[in-house]
Amino acid sequence: MASVIETRSVVVEYPSVRGVLRLYGQGVSLRVDQGDFLAVLGGSGWGKSTLVNVVLGLERPIHGSVSFREHDVTRESFVKRCSLVKTAAVFQRPTALPQMTVSQNLHLALSLAGVPRKERDERIKEALAFFGLDKIERSYPDGLSAGQRRRIDLARALAVKPELLVIDEPTGDLDGSATNLLIPLLRGLNRNQGTTIFMTTALPRQASQAKHQVHLRPPTYLTPENRMIGD
Amino acid sequence: MEKPSWTPIVLSGALPREATDLLAILVMGIVALEASLATIGPAASNSRVWLSLLVVPPTCALASVSTTTRRTREELALFAYGGSAWQILLRYFFRGAICAVIAFFPVILQGFLTTATIPELILPELALILAGGLFYSLPSLRRIRSSSFVEHYKS
Repeated sequence: MASVIETRSVVVEYPSVRGVLRLYGQGVSLRVDQGDFLAVLGGSGWGKSTLVNVVLGLERPIHGSVSFREHDVTRESFVKRCSLVKTAAVFQRPTALPQMTVSQNLHLALSLAGVPRKERDERIKEALAFFGLDKIERSYPDGLSAGQRRRIDLARALAVKPELLVIDEPTGDLDGSATNLLIPLLRGLNRNQGTTIFMTTALPRQASQAKHQVHLRPPTYLTPENRMIGD
Repeated sequence: MEKPSWTPIVLSGALPREATDLLAILVMGIVALEASLATIGPAASNSRVWLSLLVVPPTCALASVSTTTRRTREELALFAYGGSAWQILLRYFFRGAICAVIAFFPVILQGFLTTATIPELILPELALILAGGLFYSLPSLRRIRSSSFVEHYKS
């Protein structure tokens, strides 16, 4: 089976006051096949969001490579990756456009994805109702809570009906009831619609709901002499 | 098969709508009006128009950088929706160009009524559009290209 995403020995480094911060030790190698649901599990500061950015082409690894459908996309943009696999991303921090209403945000995302105008209204209505956003569809994101803004992002991503959903800590700003709804929703999407899911989380209980798990290693610091001084 | 489209990202943000855009239009408009009213007769008008165009780059750049926080959020969202850096730049290029054209409308109109030759008419307008668009979009390019940009996606 062809892989949707494959990373080989990906390493990311950042300069820091303690030396060079090295993420993923000897490198993270993983493979996500069509219809897979992979959870990347790791503690705070271990590089979960960075791995999401690397997979989406927003950050480049210092070593290793990333492939989408067997094409090396390590140096390619998010847009190029979307042309290989229809991808929707939900980031840790809410990303709705502040000057557009909830509904207008979804319209823009769907029109960018090339969804025909006739279909847009129906999909938006469905997504807003599912996430309980139908009463605030004319509100602006700045006037909403972090949890509501998070739900806008989720509604926007799911309304696109992506082949690949990349989601960074999905339940971050959600309350208990929304959290309880979300993971079964992701599992349903994966099982019933065949959506491939790449998710990061710090919660082992959440990761256990996925088909496969990858455990990240804690970061290390390299001194100028290339000596490890622990994490 | 749904085909991604680049036009919504540009068109949805091409029209000036922020307070800073209106202020920029106002500042450039005052300068343009001053140049327009002060020049009676075609001989002096051209040099005055070129001189007044000097106000466009700093004013458009200022309008663009003065809303950096909000603009960064806009750029992050557009990327998340599947937009590219070039589409975002084009979006701001058009907005800056439209701001400059609105502000200089009296001068443009006066030019149409008084100028005899096409190059004399076209060149200042072209310079106006380029200066407005470039200086409005360049701060965005600088932000998008910076290594700290994607850090905003993380908590």
